[in-house]
Amino acid sequence: MNTEMDFEDLMDEAYGLPNGTAKLGMLEEAARVADVNGMEEEAYEARSEIVETATFCGYPMKALIAFSWQLGKFDQQPERYDEETLMWSYKWILGELSSFPEVSRDKMMELLEDFGRRFKSFGYSERSYWYYRFRIFMDLGDLEEAGNSYAKFRTMDRDFMSDCEACEQDEIMRYWILVGDDEKVLEEAKPILKGRMSCAEIPHLTLSEVLMPLYRLGRIEEADKHQQKGYRMIKGQNDFVQSFAEQMDYLARTNPSKGIDVLEETLVMAFDHEDPFAKMMFYARAAQLLRRWADESPGYRLRLPASFPYEGDPGDLLALADYFAEYAKAAAEKYDQRNGNHHVSTLLAGV
Amino acid sequence: MAASNEYRFQVNLSGMIQILSNHLYSSPKVFLRELMQNATDAITARSEAEPGFQGEVRVELTGTGEQLTMMVEDNGIGLTEADIHEFLAMIGQSSKRGQQALLDGETSFIGRFGIGLLSCFMVSNEIVMLTQSAKGGPSMEWRGKPDGTYTIRQLETQLSPGTKVYLRCTPDAAHYFEPEYVKEALFYYGALLPYPVTLQSGGVQDIVNAESPVWLTHPELAKGRKAEVLAFGGRLLGETFEDFIPLTTASGRTGGIAFVLPHAVNLNAKRSHRVYLKRMLISEKAENILPDWAFFVKCLIWTDELQPTASREHFYENEQLEEVRSELGDALRQGLSDMAENQTERLKKLIRLHALSMKALAVQDQGFYAMIYRWLPFESTRGHRELGELMDEGETLYFTTTVDEYRQIHHVASAQSLLVINGGYIYDNELMATLPLAVQGVHTERLQPDQVSLSFTDVPPAERNDYYDALRLADSALQRFRCRAEVKGFKPKDLPVLFTLSQESSTLRALEKASEESTELFSSVLGSLSAGISSAGYSTLYLNVNNPIIQRVLTTPDPQMTPIAIEMLYVNALMMGHYAMNRQELEVLNQGIVRFIDWGLRANTDRKGDA
Repeated sequence: MNTEMDFEDLMDEAYGLPNGTAKLGMLEEAARVADVNGMEEEAYEARSEIVETATFCGYPMKALIAFSWQLGKFDQQPERYDEETLMWSYKWILGELSSFPEVSRDKMMELLEDFGRRFKSFGYSERSYWYYRFRIFMDLGDLEEAGNSYAKFRTMDRDFMSDCEACEQDEIMRYWILVGDDEKVLEEAKPILKGRMSCAEIPHLTLSEVLMPLYRLGRIEEADKHQQKGYRMIKGQNDFVQSFAEQMDYLARTNPSKGIDVLEETLVMAFDHEDPFAKMMFYARAAQLLRRWADESPGYRLRLPASFPYEGDPGDLLALADYFAEYAKAAAEKYDQRNGNHHVSTLLAGV
Repeated sequence: MAASNEYRFQVNLSGMIQILSNHLYSSPKVFLRELMQNATDAITARSEAEPGFQGEVRVELTGTGEQLTMMVEDNGIGLTEADIHEFLAMIGQSSKRGQQALLDGETSFIGRFGIGLLSCFMVSNEIVMLTQSAKGGPSMEWRGKPDGTYTIRQLETQLSPGTKVYLRCTPDAAHYFEPEYVKEALFYYGALLPYPVTLQSGGVQDIVNAESPVWLTHPELAKGRKAEVLAFGGRLLGETFEDFIPLTTASGRTGGIAFVLPHAVNLNAKRSHRVYLKRMLISEKAENILPDWAFFVKCLIWTDELQPTASREHFYENEQLEEVRSELGDALRQGLSDMAENQTERLKKLIRLHALSMKALAVQDQGFYAMIYRWLPFESTRGHRELGELMDEGETLYFTTTVDEYRQIHHVASAQSLLVINGGYIYDNELMATLPLAVQGVHTERLQPDQVSLSFTDVPPAERNDYYDALRLADSALQRFRCRAEVKGFKPKDLPVLFTLSQESSTLRALEKASEESTELFSSVLGSLSAGISSAGYSTLYLNVNNPIIQRVLTTPDPQMTPIAIEMLYVNALMMGHYAMNRQELEVLNQGIVRFIDWGLRANTDRKGDA
């Protein structure tokens, strides 16, 4: 049985697996074996992999926990470990941090400063610091500060620790989405949509993000194309729960029946998701979609995953919509409280 | 004799050859592929001009030692003097097309010819080419040297249309000129060519490729010629296959045979499909031409619609490739579906060997899952069984999502005859979760370790009252570990305690452990996160009332002994469950052992004293 496997076997097997919960489980098992046997460097290695895998398959909390352990070990014996990989992971952690409403605004600022100080001490470009500052202020709904950081990071030199151009471009586009300037969104999306910039996650994310701006501008035909391509790219991957939400947002307005397909195919990933923000967005859009679908196809019984904790009648779409909406609203309230504004509940207006 | 004129390449040819051999091609042996490609292109060009034309490629080996020479002849379109200048001189002409563009360009006749010929310098210090264009004009001779010089002259005699290339081998390339090697290589590269390739050596003439199999153009006909297809695949791919699935795309421009590997493969095994572009071997390790889940087959694929990379060993990842990949995937899936309907024995055999691949596909495709679920194997409290058998028991199928959870509960669950499936292996818990969506009338349920208590037997209130004091002592001892004690009866009775952990308390344990090791700042962040879950985060230590030792612990509460006994049972349960312990727990373990040794020794001394 697997439990008897030793560290190397577990890691070997994990390295061969695609990102996902099975790989994560294997890595956690490896970390556990290393811990129990006092193998510190191995435990560190396993956690590096956990951070990466968990970040990209919907377990930000696991990533944060593993990273915290690593950082502590690193500070005790910096000569023993590679700082580049660790600092790269730090960026992922910063990117996810705001999703946890329990982490206060002050703590986030302290972490941002810690990050900046460490980057500086290793001689990396300050671009990363300002870029993540830009992102965090967007997450907090402080668009003025976000705008200032944006102006600043653009002028700084990129280095090997900077996020890739495509990712940066996507965040810039997100800024204009938050500002509410649809024309500007599409202008910034252009290099991505034209295929001039891409990476492992772009244009996957972008194709869903531009749907509503296109819809509002009446460019439905274009939007439909992006919707199809975008969904094909992200289908089945729980790293993209928020993109599924964006897909449903658009489909609720243009093609609810297809939206229901998306909902049924992706709900199992959303409800097991560890990122409360992505989950909130998904639930909110699911609620809107269900209400729309209830008008069009009353009595439809939504296929819920076996382990889904909803006790009511899956044929009562409005009740189910309420269930999703209440979850989303309760989550939004927590964010508003932390952020000290109504930014997140505004995102859910109309749910 | 006609006048001989000398010309010069416009590039540093030895540098170019260096680049070719070290960076572009994976091995010098590709010179043969390049020659075959040139020959094929020439024949294609002539067939276009003369419908019904029958092409032929002849290879001849003569001489020995320093005189060992290979001649490759085709009866294709041939080159005029102007063609020669254009094809060979353009290698150095950046004005016409950039150097990179030349390498990346489509496999047009003209663009490739010169480059292909250059690869011969990896094995020969002189290339002689005799050619006669089908369009007429004099026959030409071209001689090239790796120092960058070449000569062209008109021949006095008129050759028949086509091209002959002569290579004299360099000493360190001799093994590429051995007849057996050449024969295999020609088959390897040209097995799918629709005209004969012959090899003449030592007075013997062989046709290297048999008549082009009919199923190359119509893969669906392969089914009726099983033995022939298997033998062909065996020779070309070097394995003995027993089964295959024909592949076609809608356009008909890509087709192939997916040979089912006769042995189980690792999920991370390299996919190495062999792909022929316009019937010439282009890649023997194409990884991106089939979907990821298709790791149970080794494919022969022929296509005329994909664009090769510069080295011609892979394909560009573009939309067309994506389309082809998904169509080939559909064809493969269809083949499996047909088996599920008509040849279940054949499919069962395949699943036994390649369960992982089948599971990977089933996760992605519910329809497929519905077709094959019966035969997928799972580990369960009833042993390693096929899902169909497990379903026939007609019970709820409980499953865990990790190996860890399964380990925590399986001995208790099996003693209670609960049917639990280990969902910790790759794909298994996704499959369990989605089974009711794929198959009507099945009930699956995720089982968490703390839910096993459902099947424990309760201790009657009166009896529980007797244990009141002991339990209070136990609870207060366990409180600092955020754990509580509970008395239940369960099998097996030699298991004194069972530690269970909800998902929240599991996260909490991990948080605490990381917090101990981390920086102050991160510890405080983790602290705020744990505040959010701590209310729900109690784990449970079940004391088995059926176990004699537990009986003694429960019936003789002692403010001094009981807490220590409980603590020891707790850390013991952690060890049994392979949990990493935090500092506090490790301390308990260390102190406890020392104490028990101390007590044991003292009791011994006391007894001796009594005697």
